[in-house]
Amino acid sequence: MAKKTYTESITEIEEILGQIENEELDVDILTEKVQRAAELIKLCKEKLQKTDTEVQKILDEIEG
Amino acid sequence: MTVLSLSLLELNEQVKESVKLAFSKAVWVRAEISELHENAAGHAYWELIEKEENTDRIIAKTKGNCWAFTYRMLKSYFENSTGEQLKTGLKVLISCTVEYHELYGISLNIKDIDPSFTLGDMARRRMEIIRRLQDDGVFDMNKEVPLSVTPQRIAIISSATAAGYGDFMDQLANNSGGYAFYTKLFPAVMQGEQTVNSIIQALDKIYTHQDKFDAVVIIRGGGATAELSSFDNYDLAFNCTQFPLPIITGIGHQRDESILDLVAHTRAKTPTAVAEFLINNMEEAAEKLAEVQHYILSLVEGRMQEENHRLQKILIQFPHLVSTQTRRKKETINLLQHKLSNNLRHLLTTKKNSLALMEKEVILSSPDVLLKKGYSLTLKNGKMVKSISQLKQGDNITTRLIDGEVKSIVK
Repeated sequence: MAKKTYTESITEIEEILGQIENEELDVDILTEKVQRAAELIKLCKEKLQKTDTEVQKILDEIEG
Repeated sequence: MTVLSLSLLELNEQVKESVKLAFSKAVWVRAEISELHENAAGHAYWELIEKEENTDRIIAKTKGNCWAFTYRMLKSYFENSTGEQLKTGLKVLISCTVEYHELYGISLNIKDIDPSFTLGDMARRRMEIIRRLQDDGVFDMNKEVPLSVTPQRIAIISSATAAGYGDFMDQLANNSGGYAFYTKLFPAVMQGEQTVNSIIQALDKIYTHQDKFDAVVIIRGGGATAELSSFDNYDLAFNCTQFPLPIITGIGHQRDESILDLVAHTRAKTPTAVAEFLINNMEEAAEKLAEVQHYILSLVEGRMQEENHRLQKILIQFPHLVSTQTRRKKETINLLQHKLSNNLRHLLTTKKNSLALMEKEVILSSPDVLLKKGYSLTLKNGKMVKSISQLKQGDNITTRLIDGEVKSIVK
Protein backbone atom coordinates (compact mmCIF):
# COMPACT_ATOMS: atom_id res chain seq x y z
CA MET A 1 0.00 0.00 0.00
CA ALA A 2 1.42 3.37 -0.96
CA LYS A 3 2.53 5.42 2.01
CA LYS A 4 0.07 8.16 2.68
CA THR A 5 1.40 11.66 2.87
CA TYR A 6 0.67 13.73 5.94
CA THR A 7 -1.77 15.88 4.04
CA GLU A 8 -3.62 12.87 2.62
CA SER A 9 -3.92 11.39 6.10
CA ILE A 10 -5.28 14.62 7.56
CA THR A 11 -7.80 14.83 4.74
CA GLU A 12 -9.06 11.36 5.48
CA ILE A 13 -9.27 12.10 9.21
CA GLU A 14 -11.34 15.19 8.46
CA GLU A 15 -13.63 13.16 6.23
CA ILE A 16 -14.26 10.70 9.04
CA LEU A 17 -14.86 13.61 11.39
CA GLY A 18 -17.48 14.96 9.04
CA GLN A 19 -19.22 11.61 8.91
CA ILE A 20 -19.31 11.28 12.69
CA GLU A 21 -20.63 14.83 13.04
CA ASN A 22 -23.50 14.11 10.69
CA GLU A 23 -24.63 11.28 12.94
CA GLU A 24 -25.52 9.09 10.03
CA LEU A 25 -23.31 6.29 11.23
CA ASP A 26 -24.52 3.08 12.69
CA VAL A 27 -22.81 2.29 15.99
CA ASP A 28 -20.81 -0.60 14.52
CA ILE A 29 -19.56 1.46 11.61
CA LEU A 30 -18.79 4.25 14.05
CA THR A 31 -16.40 1.96 15.87
CA GLU A 32 -14.69 1.04 12.61
CA LYS A 33 -14.29 4.65 11.57
CA VAL A 34 -12.97 5.73 14.94
CA GLN A 35 -10.37 2.97 14.82
CA ARG A 36 -9.28 4.07 11.37
CA ALA A 37 -9.04 7.67 12.54
CA ALA A 38 -6.94 6.60 15.53
CA GLU A 39 -4.61 4.71 13.19
CA LEU A 40 -4.19 7.73 10.97
CA ILE A 41 -3.61 10.08 13.89
CA LYS A 42 -0.92 7.77 15.19
CA LEU A 43 0.72 7.75 11.76
CA CYS A 44 0.70 11.53 11.58
CA LYS A 45 2.17 11.89 15.04
CA GLU A 46 4.99 9.57 14.03
CA LYS A 47 5.68 11.58 10.91
CA LEU A 48 6.04 14.69 13.02
CA GLN A 49 8.41 13.29 15.57
CA LYS A 50 9.97 10.03 14.64
CA THR A 51 12.99 10.49 12.41
CA ASP A 52 12.78 8.55 9.18
CA THR A 53 16.37 7.58 8.45
CA GLU A 54 15.50 6.74 4.86
CA VAL A 55 14.56 10.33 4.13
CA GLN A 56 17.77 11.71 5.58
CA LYS A 57 19.79 9.13 3.67
CA ILE A 58 18.30 10.27 0.38
CA LEU A 59 19.25 13.85 1.15
CA ASP A 60 22.73 12.92 2.29
CA GLU A 61 23.38 11.21 -1.02
CA ILE A 62 22.91 14.44 -2.98
CA GLU A 63 26.24 15.97 -3.96
CA GLY A 64 26.60 19.20 -2.01
CA MET B 1 60.64 84.56 -35.24
CA THR B 2 60.21 83.96 -31.48
CA VAL B 3 56.63 83.46 -30.17
CA LEU B 4 55.82 84.06 -26.57
CA SER B 5 55.89 80.68 -24.91
CA LEU B 6 55.93 79.04 -21.56
CA SER B 7 57.70 76.00 -20.41
CA LEU B 8 55.46 73.16 -19.49
CA LEU B 9 56.37 73.57 -15.85
CA GLU B 10 55.49 77.25 -16.08
CA LEU B 11 52.16 76.42 -17.67
CA ASN B 12 51.34 73.84 -15.07
CA GLU B 13 52.31 76.17 -12.28
CA GLN B 14 49.99 78.79 -13.68
CA VAL B 15 47.21 76.30 -13.93
CA LYS B 16 47.93 75.33 -10.36
CA GLU B 17 47.55 78.93 -9.21
CA SER B 18 44.32 79.36 -11.11
CA VAL B 19 42.87 76.27 -9.67
CA LYS B 20 43.89 77.32 -6.18
CA LEU B 21 42.13 80.61 -6.65
CA ALA B 22 39.00 79.17 -8.18
CA PHE B 23 38.70 76.37 -5.67
CA SER B 24 40.00 77.87 -2.44
CA LYS B 25 37.45 75.98 -0.41
CA ALA B 26 36.25 72.39 -0.50
CA VAL B 27 33.31 71.63 -2.75
CA TRP B 28 30.63 68.98 -2.55
CA VAL B 29 30.66 66.77 -5.63
CA ARG B 30 28.29 64.05 -6.81
CA ALA B 31 30.06 61.23 -8.59
CA GLU B 32 30.13 57.51 -9.14
CA ILE B 33 33.01 55.37 -7.91
CA SER B 34 34.52 53.47 -10.80
CA GLU B 35 37.63 52.37 -8.93
CA LEU B 36 38.66 52.24 -5.31
CA HIS B 37 41.90 50.84 -3.87
CA GLU B 38 43.49 50.98 -0.50
CA ASN B 39 47.24 50.64 -0.19
CA ALA B 40 49.19 49.07 2.63
CA ALA B 41 49.42 52.32 4.53
CA GLY B 42 45.68 52.77 4.41
CA HIS B 43 45.57 55.54 1.84
CA ALA B 44 42.69 55.26 -0.59
CA TYR B 45 42.93 55.92 -4.30
CA TRP B 46 39.72 56.53 -6.16
CA GLU B 47 38.57 56.97 -9.68
CA LEU B 48 35.40 58.97 -10.00
CA ILE B 49 33.17 59.18 -13.05
CA GLU B 50 29.93 60.62 -14.25
CA LYS B 51 27.76 58.75 -16.68
CA GLU B 52 25.21 60.24 -19.00
CA GLU B 53 21.74 59.39 -17.68
CA ASN B 54 20.18 57.29 -20.36
CA THR B 55 23.19 56.07 -22.32
CA ASP B 56 25.60 55.15 -19.52
CA ARG B 57 28.33 56.84 -21.53
CA ILE B 58 31.11 58.21 -19.35
CA ILE B 59 31.20 61.98 -19.71
CA ALA B 60 33.55 62.98 -16.89
CA LYS B 61 36.35 61.29 -15.04
CA THR B 62 38.72 62.45 -12.32
CA LYS B 63 41.10 60.77 -9.94
CA GLY B 64 40.77 61.23 -6.24
CA ASN B 65 42.55 60.32 -3.07
CA CYS B 66 41.85 60.10 0.60
CA TRP B 67 44.60 59.93 3.16
CA ALA B 68 44.61 57.09 5.61
CA PHE B 69 43.70 59.15 8.67
CA THR B 70 40.66 60.64 6.98
CA TYR B 71 39.77 57.53 5.08
CA ARG B 72 39.61 55.38 8.22
CA MET B 73 36.95 57.60 9.74
CA LEU B 74 35.15 58.26 6.50
CA LYS B 75 34.90 54.59 5.74
CA SER B 76 33.40 53.56 9.09
CA TYR B 77 31.07 56.56 9.10
CA PHE B 78 29.78 55.56 5.69
CA GLU B 79 29.39 51.87 6.55
CA ASN B 80 27.62 52.56 9.82
CA SER B 81 25.19 54.90 8.14
CA THR B 82 24.38 52.84 5.09
CA GLY B 83 25.15 49.32 6.17
CA GLU B 84 27.18 49.02 3.00
CA GLN B 85 30.87 49.10 2.26
CA LEU B 86 32.38 51.75 0.01
CA LYS B 87 32.89 50.10 -3.33
CA THR B 88 32.73 50.59 -7.05
CA GLY B 89 29.37 51.26 -8.53
CA LEU B 90 28.15 53.39 -5.66
CA LYS B 91 27.05 56.94 -6.23
CA VAL B 92 28.50 59.22 -3.57
CA LEU B 93 28.39 62.81 -2.42
CA ILE B 94 31.86 63.83 -1.32
CA SER B 95 33.42 66.97 -0.06
CA CYS B 96 36.82 67.54 -1.62
CA THR B 97 39.43 70.07 -2.43
CA VAL B 98 40.55 70.39 -6.01
CA GLU B 99 44.24 70.14 -6.46
CA TYR B 100 46.42 70.45 -9.40
CA HIS B 101 49.87 69.03 -9.40
CA GLU B 102 52.39 69.88 -12.10
CA LEU B 103 53.33 66.27 -12.41
CA TYR B 104 50.22 64.34 -11.58
CA GLY B 105 47.55 66.57 -12.96
CA ILE B 106 44.25 67.25 -11.32
CA SER B 107 42.92 65.27 -8.43
CA LEU B 108 40.35 65.58 -5.76
CA ASN B 109 41.36 65.22 -2.19
CA ILE B 110 38.43 63.78 -0.37
CA LYS B 111 37.69 65.17 3.06
CA ASP B 112 34.14 64.12 3.82
CA ILE B 113 31.18 62.13 2.58
CA ASP B 114 27.41 62.41 2.89
CA PRO B 115 26.00 58.89 3.21
CA SER B 116 22.37 59.95 2.88
CA PHE B 117 23.01 60.75 -0.76
CA THR B 118 24.18 57.20 -1.35
CA LEU B 119 21.29 55.86 0.67
CA GLY B 120 18.93 57.88 -1.45
CA ASP B 121 20.54 56.52 -4.58
CA MET B 122 20.48 52.98 -3.26
CA ALA B 123 16.84 53.35 -2.35
CA ARG B 124 16.07 54.69 -5.80
CA ARG B 125 17.85 51.79 -7.42
CA ARG B 126 16.03 49.33 -5.21
CA MET B 127 12.69 50.85 -6.12
CA GLU B 128 13.61 50.55 -9.77
CA ILE B 129 14.44 46.87 -9.40
CA ILE B 130 11.27 46.24 -7.43
CA ARG B 131 9.21 48.00 -10.07
CA ARG B 132 10.90 46.02 -12.78
CA LEU B 133 10.06 42.75 -11.01
CA GLN B 134 6.48 43.90 -10.54
CA ASP B 135 6.15 44.90 -14.17
CA ASP B 136 7.50 41.52 -15.17
CA GLY B 137 4.61 40.07 -13.19
CA VAL B 138 6.90 37.84 -11.14
CA PHE B 139 7.11 39.73 -7.87
CA ASP B 140 4.64 37.55 -5.97
CA MET B 141 5.24 34.22 -7.68
CA ASN B 142 7.25 32.52 -4.97
CA LYS B 143 4.77 33.70 -2.36
CA GLU B 144 2.08 31.78 -4.22
CA VAL B 145 3.92 28.48 -4.08
CA PRO B 146 2.10 26.49 -1.41
CA LEU B 147 4.07 25.70 1.73
CA SER B 148 3.56 22.23 3.12
CA VAL B 149 1.69 21.96 6.42
CA THR B 150 4.73 20.21 7.82
CA PRO B 151 7.87 21.42 6.08
CA GLN B 152 10.46 18.97 7.31
CA ARG B 153 12.80 18.47 4.35
CA ILE B 154 14.87 21.63 4.11
CA ALA B 155 17.46 22.64 1.51
CA ILE B 156 19.80 25.16 3.11
CA ILE B 157 21.77 27.75 1.18
CA SER B 158 24.43 29.16 3.43
CA SER B 159 28.10 28.98 4.14
CA ALA B 160 29.25 26.23 6.46
CA THR B 161 31.37 28.78 8.23
CA ALA B 162 28.75 31.47 8.22
CA ALA B 163 27.57 32.80 11.49
CA GLY B 164 24.07 31.57 11.81
CA TYR B 165 24.33 28.25 10.04
CA GLY B 166 25.65 26.43 13.08
CA ASP B 167 23.02 27.93 15.36
CA PHE B 168 20.31 27.15 12.87
CA MET B 169 21.25 23.48 12.69
CA ASP B 170 21.49 23.33 16.46
CA GLN B 171 18.02 24.75 16.93
CA LEU B 172 16.45 22.27 14.53
CA ALA B 173 18.28 19.28 15.98
CA ASN B 174 17.45 20.15 19.58
CA ASN B 175 13.95 21.59 19.29
CA SER B 176 11.90 21.06 22.43
CA GLY B 177 9.01 19.43 20.63
CA GLY B 178 11.24 16.69 19.33
CA TYR B 179 10.13 17.32 15.76
CA ALA B 180 12.06 15.63 12.98
CA PHE B 181 13.78 17.70 10.29
CA TYR B 182 15.79 16.53 7.32
CA THR B 183 18.39 18.96 6.02
CA LYS B 184 20.96 19.28 3.28
CA LEU B 185 23.44 22.14 2.98
CA PHE B 186 24.12 23.63 -0.45
CA PRO B 187 27.16 25.78 0.30
CA ALA B 188 27.42 29.25 -1.18
CA VAL B 189 29.38 32.42 -0.67
CA MET B 190 27.28 34.79 1.35
CA GLN B 191 29.46 37.93 1.23
CA GLY B 192 31.17 39.92 -1.44
CA GLU B 193 31.12 39.92 -5.20
CA GLN B 194 30.58 36.21 -5.75
CA THR B 195 27.46 36.08 -3.66
CA VAL B 196 24.87 36.45 -6.40
CA ASN B 197 26.35 33.82 -8.72
CA SER B 198 27.08 31.46 -5.88
CA ILE B 199 23.54 31.50 -4.59
CA ILE B 200 22.07 31.12 -8.07
CA GLN B 201 24.27 28.08 -8.62
CA ALA B 202 23.07 26.57 -5.36
CA LEU B 203 19.46 27.19 -6.41
CA ASP B 204 20.11 25.45 -9.72
CA LYS B 205 21.42 22.43 -7.89
CA ILE B 206 18.45 22.27 -5.60
CA TYR B 207 16.16 22.62 -8.59
CA THR B 208 17.24 19.25 -9.96
CA HIS B 209 16.31 17.64 -6.62
CA GLN B 210 13.21 19.68 -5.91
CA ASP B 211 10.99 16.68 -5.23
CA LYS B 212 13.17 15.77 -2.26
CA PHE B 213 12.52 19.00 -0.39
CA ASP B 214 9.64 20.94 1.12
CA ALA B 215 11.37 24.34 1.25
CA VAL B 216 14.59 26.26 0.62
CA VAL B 217 16.15 28.32 3.35
CA ILE B 218 18.69 31.09 2.62
CA ILE B 219 20.42 32.16 5.79
CA ARG B 220 23.33 34.29 6.89
CA GLY B 221 24.20 35.85 10.19
CA GLY B 222 24.28 39.60 10.62
CA GLY B 223 27.11 41.80 11.77
CA ALA B 224 28.54 45.25 11.20
CA THR B 225 30.21 44.40 7.93
CA ALA B 226 27.39 42.33 6.59
CA GLU B 227 26.33 44.07 3.43
CA LEU B 228 23.04 43.61 1.74
CA SER B 229 23.62 44.85 -1.77
CA SER B 230 24.07 41.36 -3.20
CA PHE B 231 20.60 40.54 -1.97
CA ASP B 232 19.17 43.56 -3.78
CA ASN B 233 20.36 42.12 -7.06
CA TYR B 234 17.80 41.83 -9.83
CA ASP B 235 18.98 38.48 -11.25
CA LEU B 236 19.01 36.80 -7.87
CA ALA B 237 15.56 38.09 -7.03
CA PHE B 238 14.18 37.06 -10.41
CA ASN B 239 15.61 33.59 -9.99
CA CYS B 240 13.85 33.24 -6.67
CA THR B 241 10.49 34.36 -7.95
CA GLN B 242 10.66 31.54 -10.47
CA PHE B 243 11.66 28.88 -8.01
CA PRO B 244 9.24 25.96 -7.59
CA LEU B 245 9.81 25.55 -3.86
CA PRO B 246 8.93 28.13 -1.23
CA ILE B 247 11.99 30.17 -0.25
CA ILE B 248 12.44 31.32 3.34
CA THR B 249 15.05 34.00 3.98
CA GLY B 250 16.84 34.73 7.22
CA ILE B 251 19.47 37.27 6.30
CA GLY B 252 20.61 39.27 9.26
CA HIS B 253 21.20 42.91 8.54
CA GLN B 254 20.90 46.20 10.29
CA ARG B 255 18.90 47.72 7.47
CA ASP B 256 15.38 46.47 6.94
CA GLU B 257 14.75 44.23 4.03
CA SER B 258 16.59 43.26 0.93
CA ILE B 259 14.78 42.71 -2.34
CA LEU B 260 15.33 39.01 -1.89
CA ASP B 261 13.42 39.27 1.39
CA LEU B 262 10.59 41.02 -0.42
CA VAL B 263 10.15 38.37 -3.11
CA ALA B 264 10.70 35.35 -0.88
CA HIS B 265 7.74 33.24 0.22
CA THR B 266 8.45 33.96 3.85
CA ARG B 267 10.92 36.31 5.42
CA ALA B 268 12.46 36.05 8.85
CA LYS B 269 14.94 38.51 10.33
CA THR B 270 17.65 36.06 11.26
CA PRO B 271 18.60 32.40 10.84
CA THR B 272 17.30 31.85 14.38
CA ALA B 273 13.95 33.29 13.42
CA VAL B 274 13.80 30.93 10.43
CA ALA B 275 14.40 27.94 12.68
CA GLU B 276 11.66 29.19 15.00
CA PHE B 277 9.29 29.55 12.08
CA LEU B 278 9.91 25.97 10.97
CA ILE B 279 9.55 24.59 14.48
CA ASN B 280 6.37 26.60 15.00
CA ASN B 281 4.81 25.05 11.94
CA MET B 282 5.40 21.62 13.38
CA GLU B 283 3.95 22.66 16.71
CA GLU B 284 0.82 23.94 15.03
CA ALA B 285 0.43 20.69 13.14
CA ALA B 286 0.88 18.71 16.35
CA GLU B 287 -1.68 20.88 18.14
CA LYS B 288 -4.19 20.47 15.38
CA LEU B 289 -3.74 16.70 15.53
CA ALA B 290 -4.34 16.75 19.27
CA GLU B 291 -7.44 18.90 18.78
CA VAL B 292 -8.83 16.58 16.15
CA GLN B 293 -8.18 13.58 18.32
CA HIS B 294 -9.89 15.25 21.26
CA TYR B 295 -12.82 16.33 19.15
CA ILE B 296 -13.42 12.89 17.68
CA LEU B 297 -13.33 11.39 21.16
CA SER B 298 -15.86 13.86 22.50
CA LEU B 299 -18.13 13.35 19.49
CA VAL B 300 -18.04 9.61 19.94
CA GLU B 301 -18.63 9.91 23.68
CA GLY B 302 -21.58 12.14 22.99
CA ARG B 303 -22.96 9.73 20.47
CA MET B 304 -22.56 6.79 22.84
CA GLN B 305 -24.33 8.69 25.59
CA GLU B 306 -27.19 9.38 23.22
CA GLU B 307 -27.52 5.73 22.35
CA ASN B 308 -27.41 4.85 26.02
CA HIS B 309 -30.17 7.32 26.83
CA ARG B 310 -32.29 5.95 24.05
CA LEU B 311 -31.90 2.49 25.44
CA GLN B 312 -32.66 3.65 28.99
CA LYS B 313 -35.78 5.41 27.85
CA ILE B 314 -37.08 2.26 26.28
CA LEU B 315 -36.22 0.16 29.27
CA ILE B 316 -37.98 2.55 31.65
CA GLN B 317 -41.09 2.56 29.58
CA PHE B 318 -41.11 -1.17 29.20
CA PRO B 319 -42.72 -2.23 32.52
CA HIS B 320 -45.15 0.64 32.11
CA LEU B 321 -45.96 -0.50 28.66
CA VAL B 322 -46.34 -4.04 29.83
CA SER B 323 -48.62 -3.13 32.72
CA THR B 324 -50.66 -0.92 30.49
CA GLN B 325 -51.14 -3.78 28.13
CA THR B 326 -51.96 -6.06 30.99
CA ARG B 327 -54.29 -3.55 32.47
CA ARG B 328 -55.99 -3.13 29.17
CA LYS B 329 -56.35 -6.84 28.75
CA LYS B 330 -57.70 -7.14 32.24
CA GLU B 331 -60.21 -4.43 31.55
CA THR B 332 -61.29 -6.15 28.41
CA ILE B 333 -61.73 -9.38 30.25
CA ASN B 334 -63.68 -7.64 32.98
CA LEU B 335 -65.90 -6.09 30.44
CA LEU B 336 -66.49 -9.37 28.79
CA GLN B 337 -67.15 -11.01 32.10
CA HIS B 338 -69.60 -8.35 32.95
CA LYS B 339 -71.33 -8.69 29.64
CA LEU B 340 -71.40 -12.38 30.02
CA SER B 341 -72.98 -12.32 33.43
CA ASN B 342 -75.45 -9.74 32.29
CA ASN B 343 -76.41 -11.83 29.35
CA LEU B 344 -76.59 -14.86 31.47
CA ARG B 345 -78.78 -13.15 33.98
CA HIS B 346 -80.91 -11.86 31.24
CA LEU B 347 -81.13 -15.30 29.77
CA LEU B 348 -81.96 -16.81 33.09
CA THR B 349 -84.64 -14.24 33.72
CA THR B 350 -86.08 -14.83 30.34
CA LYS B 351 -86.01 -18.55 30.81
CA LYS B 352 -87.45 -18.18 34.27
CA ASN B 353 -90.23 -16.12 32.87
CA SER B 354 -91.03 -18.54 30.17
CA LEU B 355 -90.77 -21.28 32.67
CA ALA B 356 -93.15 -19.44 34.93
CA LEU B 357 -95.42 -18.94 32.03
CA MET B 358 -95.20 -22.55 31.18
CA GLU B 359 -95.86 -23.44 34.75
CA LYS B 360 -98.95 -21.36 34.72
CA GLU B 361 -100.04 -22.96 31.60
CA VAL B 362 -99.37 -26.32 33.03
CA ILE B 363 -101.18 -25.49 36.16
CA LEU B 364 -104.06 -24.05 34.29
CA SER B 365 -104.24 -27.01 32.08
CA SER B 366 -103.96 -29.41 34.98
CA PRO B 367 -107.14 -31.57 35.29
CA ASP B 368 -107.17 -31.01 39.01
CA VAL B 369 -108.19 -27.45 38.45
CA LEU B 370 -111.05 -28.62 36.36
CA LEU B 371 -111.91 -31.41 38.73
CA LYS B 372 -112.04 -28.90 41.51
CA LYS B 373 -114.43 -26.93 39.49
CA GLY B 374 -116.73 -29.92 39.32
CA TYR B 375 -115.75 -31.33 36.05
CA SER B 376 -115.04 -35.07 35.96
CA LEU B 377 -112.97 -37.37 33.92
CA THR B 378 -114.54 -40.40 32.45
CA LEU B 379 -112.26 -43.37 31.88
CA LYS B 380 -112.94 -46.66 30.17
CA ASN B 381 -110.43 -49.38 30.74
CA GLY B 382 -108.05 -46.81 32.01
CA LYS B 383 -108.38 -44.71 28.90
CA MET B 384 -110.02 -41.33 28.84
CA VAL B 385 -113.35 -41.01 27.16
CA LYS B 386 -113.72 -37.92 25.13
CA SER B 387 -116.70 -38.75 23.05
CA ILE B 388 -119.97 -40.69 23.51
CA SER B 389 -119.08 -42.67 20.51
CA GLN B 390 -116.51 -44.44 22.56
CA LEU B 391 -119.28 -45.82 24.84
CA LYS B 392 -121.95 -48.37 24.39
CA GLN B 393 -124.57 -49.80 26.66
CA GLY B 394 -123.17 -51.96 29.36
CA ASP B 395 -119.65 -50.53 29.35
CA ASN B 396 -117.90 -50.21 32.68
CA ILE B 397 -116.70 -46.66 33.14
CA THR B 398 -114.79 -44.99 35.89
CA THR B 399 -115.60 -41.41 36.77
CA ARG B 400 -112.84 -39.58 38.43
CA LEU B 401 -113.77 -36.70 40.69
CA ILE B 402 -111.52 -34.46 42.67
CA ASP B 403 -111.67 -36.59 45.68
CA GLY B 404 -112.06 -40.09 44.31
CA GLU B 405 -113.49 -42.37 41.66
CA VAL B 406 -116.97 -43.75 40.97
CA LYS B 407 -117.51 -46.93 38.99
CA SER B 408 -120.64 -47.07 36.83
CA ILE B 409 -122.26 -48.96 34.06
CA VAL B 410 -123.62 -47.25 31.02
CA LYS B 411 -127.35 -47.57 30.61
